[in-house]
Amino acid sequence: MSYLTIVNSVLEVIILLLIALFVGVLIPGIERKYVHARIQQRIGPPVTSSGLWASIKFLYKENIKPNSPVPGLYKAMPILCFIVVFLVFIALLPLSYGFLAFASLIAIVGFLKVEEIAYVLMGSLSKSVMSAGLRFPDHVKGAERVNTLTSYIEDISSNRSLRMIAFGSFPLYLALFIPAAMCGSIFLGDIVSYQQVHGPFLFSLAGVLGTIVFFIGLMIMLNEYPFNIVKAKADVIEGPYMEFASKYRTFVYVTRGFMIFTLSCLYSVLFLGVAPGLLSLGFIVCIIVALIFVLFMGVFSAFSPVFTNRQFYPVVLVSSVIGVVGVILGLLI
Amino acid sequence: MEEKKAKTQEIIETEIQMGTVHPAALEPYRVRFFVEDEIVKDAEVTIGVNHRGIERIMEGLPVEKANILTEKVCGICSNAHVWNSVRTAELGLGVEIPERALYIRVIMGELERLHSHFLYLAHGCEVLGHETFSMRIFYMRETIMDLLHMVGGNRVQYGCSIIGGVRPRCDLNEAKLAKLSESLDLVEKNLTEFADRFTRDTMVISRITGVGIIPQEQALKLAVSGPTLRATGVKRDLRTDMFEYDNFDFDIITQPDGDVKSNLLMRVLESFEAINILRQAIKNIPEGKVADRFWEMVDTDIIKSYIEVPRGTLYHSYAIEDGRVRGSIIRTPSMANIGAMQYASIGSHITDAQLCIVQCDPCFTCSDRVMEVYDYESHKQLDKSMLGSKILY
Repeated sequence: MSYLTIVNSVLEVIILLLIALFVGVLIPGIERKYVHARIQQRIGPPVTSSGLWASIKFLYKENIKPNSPVPGLYKAMPILCFIVVFLVFIALLPLSYGFLAFASLIAIVGFLKVEEIAYVLMGSLSKSVMSAGLRFPDHVKGAERVNTLTSYIEDISSNRSLRMIAFGSFPLYLALFIPAAMCGSIFLGDIVSYQQVHGPFLFSLAGVLGTIVFFIGLMIMLNEYPFNIVKAKADVIEGPYMEFASKYRTFVYVTRGFMIFTLSCLYSVLFLGVAPGLLSLGFIVCIIVALIFVLFMGVFSAFSPVFTNRQFYPVVLVSSVIGVVGVILGLLI
Repeated sequence: MEEKKAKTQEIIETEIQMGTVHPAALEPYRVRFFVEDEIVKDAEVTIGVNHRGIERIMEGLPVEKANILTEKVCGICSNAHVWNSVRTAELGLGVEIPERALYIRVIMGELERLHSHFLYLAHGCEVLGHETFSMRIFYMRETIMDLLHMVGGNRVQYGCSIIGGVRPRCDLNEAKLAKLSESLDLVEKNLTEFADRFTRDTMVISRITGVGIIPQEQALKLAVSGPTLRATGVKRDLRTDMFEYDNFDFDIITQPDGDVKSNLLMRVLESFEAINILRQAIKNIPEGKVADRFWEMVDTDIIKSYIEVPRGTLYHSYAIEDGRVRGSIIRTPSMANIGAMQYASIGSHITDAQLCIVQCDPCFTCSDRVMEVYDYESHKQLDKSMLGSKILY
């Protein structure tokens, strides 16, 4: 590989990353302003306030030491999540398709699992003042209660994240393997090439099922309403993110937007056969897919309450069954 | 010989504390949930961080000033407090209230019921995580707030009732009555549409059905009050005993199950009934003066007054001595409902636990009434005889 090619590749990655980050930070604002607010018949916040300006604002806020048993590790988690999403994004770019082990579905699943584990760690490492940390002069019953463990609300969030790893993210991973079953390869380069010859998987029955399951899995992975039990306002509030302030909260915001965009790119690669490349229509397709996902996510979240286990388990079960059917159909093609 | 040990409490996995500040709560309070695998096994609601000592401030104040002060007890049922406080004095002094004033008080009371119930529904939907329904109800509530502003001159503190009637500025002319009537049509239309969509939303119904059940026997045992009691099927509404409502024909709404769904629907149906009462009031409001200024201040023994407010039964009592208030006690309905909140939470998923509390329509700031008065220098608790009154209470 020539020196010029390496420089060009690095420049391409940097430019694509900057565009992806910019689109990513606009996504929450688009969802709130043009979906939620329109449905709820209100004006809504400026598009740039929720993601872009909030991220910039937090950069200039005074940092506080998080109330955590291991503050260093806790603060490292958003950065780790960002790196993981960045690696997924790089793996989706056409220039990575030569690195087979890296640009494969196994690697992407592995990266996303790291991101999920980070939620477990963040939840267990956050000890905010919103629950057991708040001193309360208890004159009523004396506060003593024997044989009881006192726990922080983030611990619930951590337990739920663990359950999400066990079964919650199952639909997304099933959806990822439907294209692999259809083209008989787990490598992204092969999946894209196959679709360029035979047409996008989206226009097949397995592809449609895969799209439905991917979308549900995407919402679960992003902890979006109504699947936001990891950070449900009714009990665990912000959950794992509770103690993040200043630049670490910026990382949280930026990573979230970046992740929505990256998962949209992943969908484009797997179901449309369109890879995000600089100076190509592929990147514009990815942006359009991200906006369509945001539109649907916004509509779903605006019209549904938070799911508890009673609603969450059946949804995961049904979507997983659809995913399995999709994989079987993909294998039969 | 083996040593006998007292049986200790059953091991409960985890204690989760929420509050005193929590986004699912409108006011500061602390709740401890004892959970096993995210199922609440026991709950303890503790209040006390909002105490302002209003009864103590009322002690020795002229009755008229004390009445105004009671309005500050609550920001949602402010009219109900001043109404009941004024009513207490009127019962003690034997003041005759003009018929028109009674109608205006009923109008204010029912408008307040509407805005309180709408706030309850919006808060309930917010805790459910359904922001769209919540926003929709706040949108409807705005019409009611405008009407309250029109009649009372303010959105929260109206200062409507005075001893002998209502303030002249709260009198209703033809234009105001027409505006009331027109706005109620709009509210009824919007509420009907909301109720239709709410009850047809399968996801919402699955979240609220069978959650936080309070059985009727338990509700009676806990002395639960107001719509929360009626949502368990008990047909009890103090408005049927209030002389202000003698000329009004209305139904007592009940619901069968005592769960979150029953409680939410209870408020929706009661809102329709409130609109019905308001329509009757607008149609039949008599002509005449709105206040009787010719009453005589006399000393009285302890006077008690109970009225039905949006959340349940409100109690005010005080004695009058030299035109001043003595021994004031205010008891708000939420105080009676705290037991029900704890009971409803038990057995539910922890995500639903706050919803179980919210279903009882808590107003803890109003309920923070109990106080202990200590002498600043001696640090001894003051008993009632040291408050400088000849009244025995």
